[in-house]
Amino acid sequence: MLIIPIMLLGIAVALFRRSSQAVVYGPRPDAPLQLPRWATGLLSAQRAEWGQAMLGELAHIEGRARRWRFTIGCIGAALLLPPWGRASGAVLAIVAVAVGSLGVYASVIIRYRLGTSSLIGAAIVATFLLGFVLAAVVALRRPGVAVPGLLGCLVVALAWMAASGFTFSNMILRVWPAWALPLLFIVVPAVVGGLGTVWGGNAAAGRRTARLAGISAGVAVYLYGTVAVAVFGAGGPADDSGFSATYKINDRLGNNLIFYLALLPLVTATFGWSAAALTARIMQLPDHADAADLPAASYVSMTRSYVPVTVQYDTEPAIRGGVAAWPRSARVALVSSAVVGMFALAFATGLRG
Amino acid sequence: MQRNRPPSAQTVSVLLALAADPTQWRYGYDLATQVQLKSGSLYPILVRLADRGLLETAWEQGEGSRPPRHLYRLTSTGRDYVAALPAVRRPKTVAHPHNRLSEA
Repeated sequence: MLIIPIMLLGIAVALFRRSSQAVVYGPRPDAPLQLPRWATGLLSAQRAEWGQAMLGELAHIEGRARRWRFTIGCIGAALLLPPWGRASGAVLAIVAVAVGSLGVYASVIIRYRLGTSSLIGAAIVATFLLGFVLAAVVALRRPGVAVPGLLGCLVVALAWMAASGFTFSNMILRVWPAWALPLLFIVVPAVVGGLGTVWGGNAAAGRRTARLAGISAGVAVYLYGTVAVAVFGAGGPADDSGFSATYKINDRLGNNLIFYLALLPLVTATFGWSAAALTARIMQLPDHADAADLPAASYVSMTRSYVPVTVQYDTEPAIRGGVAAWPRSARVALVSSAVVGMFALAFATGLRG
Repeated sequence: MQRNRPPSAQTVSVLLALAADPTQWRYGYDLATQVQLKSGSLYPILVRLADRGLLETAWEQGEGSRPPRHLYRLTSTGRDYVAALPAVRRPKTVAHPHNRLSEA
């Protein structure tokens, strides 16, 4: 398939760009400093001071082992510190879908007596789902990513289900019409990445939107696919025969894992990332919203003396551009019309497919 | 809504460490070392104490290229809170609660 070389090329370009930036801007800081910098960017705006506190403290700790221990604790604290805002509801939803998938998977094992060997597959699925939930937590904690990311999830999930005509048998056997491959693998991820960039006003927002859309849609479509296997078992169209029932069910569960938990998130994130970069370049948008990533303005009010001085922090949300800066009513209208449009389009294409 | 749950043993340890010399500003890492808490436990405790108005924070200008350092001490409300802690919630030492278990 042409998709895989294109993806590998995209990843190679990304790595090359990173290394070339290192040549221009010098070496990056050591990992114990770089990781908490990344993690503290996940904190909500009103907790920015605490992110700076952790980074400031780390800079005064000597010894690699001590720095690593402190760093790991800080990352955990930054990931879990409330408030989570809208992200908490989204994380709960993703956890519920992931747990639901595992439950359906377990019911398939029990109902069709797949044996203890299938527990290895269950462990792999559980690892994937746990990783996806953690990745979703990271993505959702970034300001301004939850709404476009979950809308993107809806687009991607509906597109994959529409390609199978909203039928369980096509979902298992992946009998797709000709238009499905370019649509699912290129067009939809590109639309999600591009619109995420416009929504957030920078390329990083588009990349995060595509990642979150890929992760959450992967979990959602995987649940749908697992339910399809639970319903059909070894049954289905007559041409899908010649193997034992246990083999067929295991094969279908394995294919679901490859297509919905591996391929779907990978293509969505990769092509979404490319589209985000392209959109930002065409629309001349910045790569990052610096204020959203690292509240560097916190240092501005420092005194020059060594006497401790209480600093008043600006707890306003980070500066945002694009659609995120629109009035709330306009955003709600846009989101509502987009959702209605997506459902209409998905059902129209799905029913024809 | 503000919850009034009794403080955890770890929170009490931090409060007592800060109350040992309430006028002195303390660094996060020093506090963590004294009460033997990991940074992942200490900072959420400090955040909650600050949210409840029991802790005040300040910044100390960093030396040279080092970034500023965050400082902590109890507010007057925090001192009153520690003074009002029931004796049963106070550990015999300011050490980590696990140490007290090992002493038993």
